[in-house]
Amino acid sequence: MNAVTTYAAQSLAAVRTSFADRTNFALQVAGMAVNNGFWLVLWFLFFAGFRQVGGWRLGDVARMLGIIYTLFGASTVFFGGYRDMAGAILRGEVDPLLTQPKPVLLRLLARESIPSAWGDLITGVAILISSARLDLGGAGLTIAAIAIGMTAWLSTSVIFASLAFWFAGARSLSRDLMDFTLMVSTYPASIYSGWVKIVAFTVLPAGFVAMAPVGLVRNPSWPAAAFAIGGAAAYGALALAVFHLGLRRYRRGATPGS
Amino acid sequence: MPPAITVKDLRKAYRFSKRGRGFTGALAGLLHPEIVALQAVAGVSFEIAAGERVAIIGPNGAGKSTTLKMLSGVLEPTSGEAQVLGYTPWRQRKSLAYEIGVVFGQRSQLWTDLPVRDSFALLRRVYDQPADAFANRRDDLVERFGVGGLMDQPVGRLSLGQRMRCEIVAALLHGPRLLFLDEPTIGLDVTAKAAIRDFIREQSLAEGLTVVLTSHDTRDIELVCERVIVINSRRIVLDQPTDQLRRRFIARKLVTLQSQAARLELDLPGVTRRPSEPHTTVLDVDTRQTRIEAVIGAALALGGIEDVTVEDPPMEEVIHEIYAALDH
Amino acid sequence: MRSTPPWTTRTVSTLAAMGAAYRVGLAAALAAWPVLLGRAIFYGVCLMVLIAFWDKVGAQRLAGTLAVRLPPGGLGVYVGVTEWITLSVPAIQLRLEDDIRSGALEPHLLRPKPYLAQTIAGEAGGMSARLAMLAVAGLLLLTLSGRPWPAGFGLAYVAVLGVIGATIGVLLYTLVGLTAFWLRRVLPALLIMQKLMFLLGGLFAPISLYPGWLHDIAAASPFAAHLAFAGQAVIAPSLANFAGALGAQAAWFIGLCLAIALTWRTGLAKLMKEG
Repeated sequence: MNAVTTYAAQSLAAVRTSFADRTNFALQVAGMAVNNGFWLVLWFLFFAGFRQVGGWRLGDVARMLGIIYTLFGASTVFFGGYRDMAGAILRGEVDPLLTQPKPVLLRLLARESIPSAWGDLITGVAILISSARLDLGGAGLTIAAIAIGMTAWLSTSVIFASLAFWFAGARSLSRDLMDFTLMVSTYPASIYSGWVKIVAFTVLPAGFVAMAPVGLVRNPSWPAAAFAIGGAAAYGALALAVFHLGLRRYRRGATPGS
Repeated sequence: MPPAITVKDLRKAYRFSKRGRGFTGALAGLLHPEIVALQAVAGVSFEIAAGERVAIIGPNGAGKSTTLKMLSGVLEPTSGEAQVLGYTPWRQRKSLAYEIGVVFGQRSQLWTDLPVRDSFALLRRVYDQPADAFANRRDDLVERFGVGGLMDQPVGRLSLGQRMRCEIVAALLHGPRLLFLDEPTIGLDVTAKAAIRDFIREQSLAEGLTVVLTSHDTRDIELVCERVIVINSRRIVLDQPTDQLRRRFIARKLVTLQSQAARLELDLPGVTRRPSEPHTTVLDVDTRQTRIEAVIGAALALGGIEDVTVEDPPMEEVIHEIYAALDH
Repeated sequence: MRSTPPWTTRTVSTLAAMGAAYRVGLAAALAAWPVLLGRAIFYGVCLMVLIAFWDKVGAQRLAGTLAVRLPPGGLGVYVGVTEWITLSVPAIQLRLEDDIRSGALEPHLLRPKPYLAQTIAGEAGGMSARLAMLAVAGLLLLTLSGRPWPAGFGLAYVAVLGVIGATIGVLLYTLVGLTAFWLRRVLPALLIMQKLMFLLGGLFAPISLYPGWLHDIAAASPFAAHLAFAGQAVIAPSLANFAGALGAQAAWFIGLCLAIALTWRTGLAKLMKEG
């Protein structure tokens, strides 16, 4: 419980910091909202011309984007430290955290909140409210999907960022890998097959970040839920393992920058 | 009372693979890595009693920071033992963390974009401190260290000296029994250094705080610590009370004079001239024999002095002297 | 007192300086080969996603939709070409924004060689390395995919139109960078430019699929010269199309250079006056 309240306090402090420059904050939020709006317009144009792709229509894509924008936005507002975690590791900023009693990973995640992510969060919630079913069951399922997706997304990001414990190039590589994962996530799942689908569920787990949670909302079933939750939990466990292995390596002094 | 710190033959070697040059080199490095071992600490042993103030000094790369990191739980040693306040640092890191305060000169534990006050409040939660006791202690430290006027400013906007003062207060907020300071005065101006040294010494005397600081500034030893451990080439070469070291090695100053005359003639006991360019005179002064004021006074009496600088001898020279003394 | 050399001498020496800057940019990009490799991988992942998408759309061939107008082989190679150009263009606007805002421009203005021309040349050098690297990656992926290569001189048309198109991209981003004389941050101008490139340049879909009015707007815009023409060269390679595209690119190249010169002069005058 202590860890949760400490985390909440730090995360809220990071959020307050992001508000500090009001103009910049407003510009970033508005900019991201416009950016997301543009993508929606493009999809609208696409479906006007092509009607559907792999059984997915505009409504399906809208709901998918709503879920993804929301989970990405919430992750990056409240756990935004994942974005530059590789950089923090390489700059040796883990040292002071090791001399303090709280878990290092939580401190790293709570240290930053990215302003533009509020734009994603707002856009995502707006899309979901306007396009999703408004009944309690539908809302509950959507919230569960977002929670599952957030777990998978944060876990994936932690794994990528933890590569910094092993090599210095991880700072830009982890950013690229996160971008790839998002890119793969923001297209209808029905387009992927064969080895591409395998990659999308393993190396760049867009499968568990977006496809499985969105699939759960489109076609709810217990197997679908088990698959989505199981996948996210597995990535969560992997993230913790990789991070702590990396931290042990850091504490042996084998990390560049330590 | 048991010692605060016990260290037995602590060693640390970093192992890394040598990187080849260019694309082929990098590829070769992946397939057949050439592992190089770098000894950072080659077996140090010492004890520090509770309430002692000890400086660990030495030139860059000597192994000071590595030793401190091992004792604070940041790094694991390659071999050897250590007990800090009854804990093995690298195994009982979290338990130890509640009892120690650490200040890294180069890395901050404060939140850059938040006001100092908020950073302190967050640290209360990190260390699970009850609100009332914490508030009292915070107010006391803030007043003693004179950072009251900085409390509402973002940490990032403070000068280095101001930030270091806040870092030290932050490290003491949870009432630790032991304070580790890694290069606390690096990059600071004279006034800021003096303030920090005074504070650390007074705090230690008032609360029986054990202090271990690393530095390559000899004044940090003189003014704060009662004992100095000299590390050079990854080993301890000297472990003595400060006043003994001072008497033996730090009674020297370098006085540099810029003059209109190409060469100045000064003949004073304990003052030797060092080689220098024309119009510059570098004097090595043994302050036990001749005081600095006398040297400067004699120089000014000659007339035509344009600039005077007084400095401590470089750390390397002190170490060199220590070595020279040890050879005898 | 030295008199100003005649404009012919000045032009020759400017071109020489640009050549030197180009070589430096190229060498720097080649030295940072891990970054080039990373970009090639980025290219591969983009293609993986976009081709999966368009192949699915093409495979369905839904009647009454635009899918029937897709080229028989799908849009795989088209996407490869447009992404090749897009990912090769350097972020010159960031450099210009930095130099203009930080005052790093001033020492350059005191030198006899033109800052802007040299900066563009240097970035073009880096771009050449990227174009080459991504071209190799693209051709490798095309071979491995088993898809048919573009008919006739398609690849040759793509190469020419692509390189010129990428250069036009640099000029467009230069205009974005020069807005730093007036705006505090170029980001809003950049985002608008990128959206226009995406829509009117055919990065979203070939402009031949657009409704007539949108197609005409796109084809008349510099964004088509930047991207769409090179992409079209794999869908419908023909000498007539190639010649037409080349003409349009030449016109836009000259037009954009003039626009840049004008914007630069105006911005510089503002900077000199206000500091």
